[in-house]
Amino acid sequence: MTSVRGPHHSEPTCSAAEPGWRGGASPAREAELIALIAKGDRRAFEELYHLYHRRLARFLTRLTRRYDVAEEVINDTFWIVWRKAADFRGDSQPSTWILGIAYRRARNAFRASARAGSIENLDAHPPPPTSDEPMRREELRDWLVQALSQLPVEQRLAVELCYELGYSCEEISEIMGCPVNTVKTRLFHARAKLQKLLPVLGGSAPSDERGRK
Amino acid sequence: MIASDDRGLHDEVWLLLPWLANGRLGAADRERAEDHVRHCAACKQELAQQELMCSAFAEPDRVIYAPGPSFRKLMERIDAAPADRMDPTAEDEAGQPAARAGDRVTELTTELSKAPVTRVAGARLDRMSLWRPPGLAWAASFLLLFAVTGLLTTLYHWSAPVYSTHTDSAPTTPGVLHIALDRRLTIGDVEEMMRADGARIVEGPGDTGIVGVTPTRPVNGPGTSAGMKQELRALSARLRADPRVLWVQPLADSDTPAEPRVPVSPDR
Repeated sequence: MTSVRGPHHSEPTCSAAEPGWRGGASPAREAELIALIAKGDRRAFEELYHLYHRRLARFLTRLTRRYDVAEEVINDTFWIVWRKAADFRGDSQPSTWILGIAYRRARNAFRASARAGSIENLDAHPPPPTSDEPMRREELRDWLVQALSQLPVEQRLAVELCYELGYSCEEISEIMGCPVNTVKTRLFHARAKLQKLLPVLGGSAPSDERGRK
Repeated sequence: MIASDDRGLHDEVWLLLPWLANGRLGAADRERAEDHVRHCAACKQELAQQELMCSAFAEPDRVIYAPGPSFRKLMERIDAAPADRMDPTAEDEAGQPAARAGDRVTELTTELSKAPVTRVAGARLDRMSLWRPPGLAWAASFLLLFAVTGLLTTLYHWSAPVYSTHTDSAPTTPGVLHIALDRRLTIGDVEEMMRADGARIVEGPGDTGIVGVTPTRPVNGPGTSAGMKQELRALSARLRADPRVLWVQPLADSDTPAEPRVPVSPDR
């Protein structure tokens, strides 16, 4: 395992173990593909695109609730990957570099769409699942997606990057371009809000109270 | 580093629980966090909820989007763009994050460069330099200004009212005085009035009912304009005094306004 140590991060809090369910190739293979892309190799580009399309589509569609917007962000991201592959220095993992680009494109697209009113902010919530009976994970996932729409976009992205894509704290800080402590704080507030919106996650006591035992 | 005292350790671990749940916490921190969670009921419960969230997010997709069509669109965009790889927008996006730099201007520039108009125009616009010769820009601005001014002037003229009044349409034949008579007058009444006022009809009546009259007394030749004006002025005064004349053309050197009158019944 290689440690992700960006030039701006000094806290040794996170490892770089890639969870298997994330669905990507090994960092070495992805770095190799990027090197080939820098030479104009279209097959390598297609392979890398396919490696990332599914996870980005899932992540971005959940964020924007529109596949057309997600597709546009994905293609904007890989447009930049194609043009800037030669500048990838390997200071960070390929997935962190690509997700960082996708994050900035998604943030801009989300803000632009929100200004234009084309991204819905769901007002109607489904009835929250009760804690009296075991909750199906699928039901919880649906409700989480609804609850996420109530969070500020930065908190929502942090949640997605952590729970959905399984990134470490340092990787998220590198992707989002903010200090590690900011990532922790964003996730702390996101957790507190989600637990208020979703009582089964919070149990009987509010999250922030339990966090300050 | 996780703090050593219990309160600080709890707070630190609480913040790290999402990464303990997703398996991405560093080995040293994980060991200390797990040790704390074993003895902390709140953290244990929270960790269970965090793991539940991770598993919920990891549920398989219900809808899987095929990458093929999207990739083809991207390749069309790439093929349509010039071959060189220097793109200032890409530089911003692929470099270190804009948020770290805290440069709102960079962010706005990036957003503007990806505005819908640019997208519709295609990727070629992304590659075009924003710099243009100032002279061309000024020339284009002036041309545009002239075009807009001409258009506005034309529109103004077109928008002017297309109607005329008796007064502004009165011809200005020398030696002829134009008048408007009450239309209820008979021919005999008009002949009698002309005789009485010392006038004779030399023009009209046209569509507007205006007739041109001259004094019956001969004017002293075309060269004596002063005499002609005097005769016309006298005729004008006589006609204005006649209640059957509704309007008398104002003379050029007369201060008398051409006031329309209320028609008077001929039998009065």
